[in-house]
Amino acid sequence: MLPRHENSSSVSSEQVTEAYLKVIGLIDERVAPYLGKATTRALVQGAAQHIKAAYPFLEFLVHRSYTDIVPSVIHEQLSGVAPADVVGGLNALLDECFAGLRELTGDLIAPPLHDEVTHQLKQLQ
Amino acid sequence: MESSVQSMSQTTDGAFRFSNGYTADRLISIRHEMEYLNTIGKRFVAAIDRFHVHRALLKALKEIYSFSACCILLKDNTFEKENPFELFIIPCYPLDETFLESIIQRIASAASALNLIHTTADQLARTAYFDAPDDLALSRPQGEVVGSEIGSFLNIPLTVENRIIGMLSLFDEKLGTFDADLMQMTTMIADYAAIALENVRLHERENALWRQAELERMRLSLILGSMAEGLLITDAKGAITSLNTSAEQLLAQAQVNFSPDILLHKLAGTSNVQWISRLAEIVDQALAGYTVKNQELVAGQAEERVPLTLSVSAAPLLDASGTSARPVGVVAVLNDITPSKQVERLKDEFVSVVSHELRTPLTAIKGYTQHLVRRIERRLRKTRSSQPEGSTAVNDLPENYDLRSLNIVQSQTEHLERLVSDLLDLSQVQWGQLQLRSETFYLADLLVDMVHSVQSSAEQHTISLQIKARETKVIADRARIGQVVGNILDNAVKYSPYGGQVIVRLKQQDGYYQVSISDQGLGVSPELFDHIFERFYRVHNTATRQLSGIGLGLYVAKAIIERHGGRIWLSSNQGVGSTFHFTLPPSPPQ
Repeated sequence: MLPRHENSSSVSSEQVTEAYLKVIGLIDERVAPYLGKATTRALVQGAAQHIKAAYPFLEFLVHRSYTDIVPSVIHEQLSGVAPADVVGGLNALLDECFAGLRELTGDLIAPPLHDEVTHQLKQLQ
Repeated sequence: MESSVQSMSQTTDGAFRFSNGYTADRLISIRHEMEYLNTIGKRFVAAIDRFHVHRALLKALKEIYSFSACCILLKDNTFEKENPFELFIIPCYPLDETFLESIIQRIASAASALNLIHTTADQLARTAYFDAPDDLALSRPQGEVVGSEIGSFLNIPLTVENRIIGMLSLFDEKLGTFDADLMQMTTMIADYAAIALENVRLHERENALWRQAELERMRLSLILGSMAEGLLITDAKGAITSLNTSAEQLLAQAQVNFSPDILLHKLAGTSNVQWISRLAEIVDQALAGYTVKNQELVAGQAEERVPLTLSVSAAPLLDASGTSARPVGVVAVLNDITPSKQVERLKDEFVSVVSHELRTPLTAIKGYTQHLVRRIERRLRKTRSSQPEGSTAVNDLPENYDLRSLNIVQSQTEHLERLVSDLLDLSQVQWGQLQLRSETFYLADLLVDMVHSVQSSAEQHTISLQIKARETKVIADRARIGQVVGNILDNAVKYSPYGGQVIVRLKQQDGYYQVSISDQGLGVSPELFDHIFERFYRVHNTATRQLSGIGLGLYVAKAIIERHGGRIWLSSNQGVGSTFHFTLPPSPPQ
């Protein structure tokens, strides 16, 4: 379980989302040399598919690559969603991404990367 | 790859370095890696089907790992397939059933994590293929115990151009079989396999499409071969490239040898068969982009009672790619219409005979009716003269009723006579026997006579004549031209049921006389202009339903005018009336 972005009440949904997208970019950077460039994109889409029932506002990530998510898309998709809910959804998304990574490679890549992501998320808070 | 590079660097640290910064050991290592990749690359390139790809994949993987099962999951987007995926399992025999169930479960979970497919393990298991090339079948070392639990696994996406097409999964019962150091090499092998599998899939699809196209071609060929209509196809130059059986038979009857690739124009030039020139013209029209419909060609010998007659329709064949607007050929359909011509001929003969036969009794009826009318009129005059002046008793005599009845008989006989006359004219036109008796007369005089004649029986209409020609002398068949004018005037009156003005105009134009007759009647829709001069053609609408006629007058009029070297046509606006025009040369053509 990743640490929650605690300042969610003082920041906007767009800022929160951009912070999480940066973290996903870090995962991509680490995973791509091992499993190819398309893997993280597919993991994020798979994760969004799994959590869409609980967080329907993140369903747009099922059909769109996370690399295509620009501020205008975030604004369009997440306007009206409370930042706390966005944080909850994106945390669940990250958890699912790691669960997916473990489904692929067990503990070969995931544990050190999880630590790195946790560290970066803390820095972003 | 990376791991081997690092280890080599560590052991040879401080050794001699080349200008690119690499040590000699590192360069040797790179050479070995490239040779290895080249070797496995060649194996994948040589694979012609998916089993060859599996073989190459297994061989490459066995060189770096020892594992219990290798699985390949492929996503298939072919719509007609029931399952949008295929799973190939290459196990190490014997394999524990629980272990097998576990690996399928794990494949389903990993595929779902990658958003590749979302399905259950049961469904995957039902559609799995077990494939093990004999020479590469995984076999356990003797005495090794078969495990039931997964100790190690590795799932690697199969990617082609940044698109995940499937997943390579490796499983082993032992722990720690796979490590991060060899993962990059495994991914590289998976990339090779992915491209090879995609190539195989494209090749299979191409083969399937080719087979489908071939089946379609055969089907089309069967359809064309069994068509009763003849089909003729030419290239862009007008040379026949293809004929179906019916076309071959039809053209064989016409005793013309159509060798492939001979230009129709060339054939028309060398052959004395006239209709080939006409066929070449039709093909030329289609090559110019026009669709030609139902053109009759008399392909048989003229002296035959009913010669072989073909109806030809042709259309341009456009390039299927749509890159060129110019036709790449012509498709022509030939229909043998000789049987309908025979029926037509029989009908014409029948009409001709019946018309001739009717004329004799009609003449007698007409003559005797006239005789009776005159007798009764004489008797009435006599009776009237014997009566005192102002007496009305004569009006009640039965002879008066007889006279009215006889007038009706006379009028109907005249109507019948006109119909028979039309039918006889039809026969003459059909058989090309319309005889003209040319004489010199003034067209203006004829028009005056006709206007007076029709006006006398059209009380609701005002018929006026406008002559804008100084000279109206003409050499023509006066009776026939009178018949044409009378027919058009009769129509003008008949199709203006509420009366109105009818104007007859005569002018000279381009060396021809032009007569135009305008009415204010029902008019004709422009789409019917071409049909109005066809035989037995009548405009059918609510307004014309009550009006009698058999649709021969204008057909005969057209034949008469054309025999004189003139032209007849119609201009009209529905609801505003019609204007019929015809032209006549001052003297008939030689």
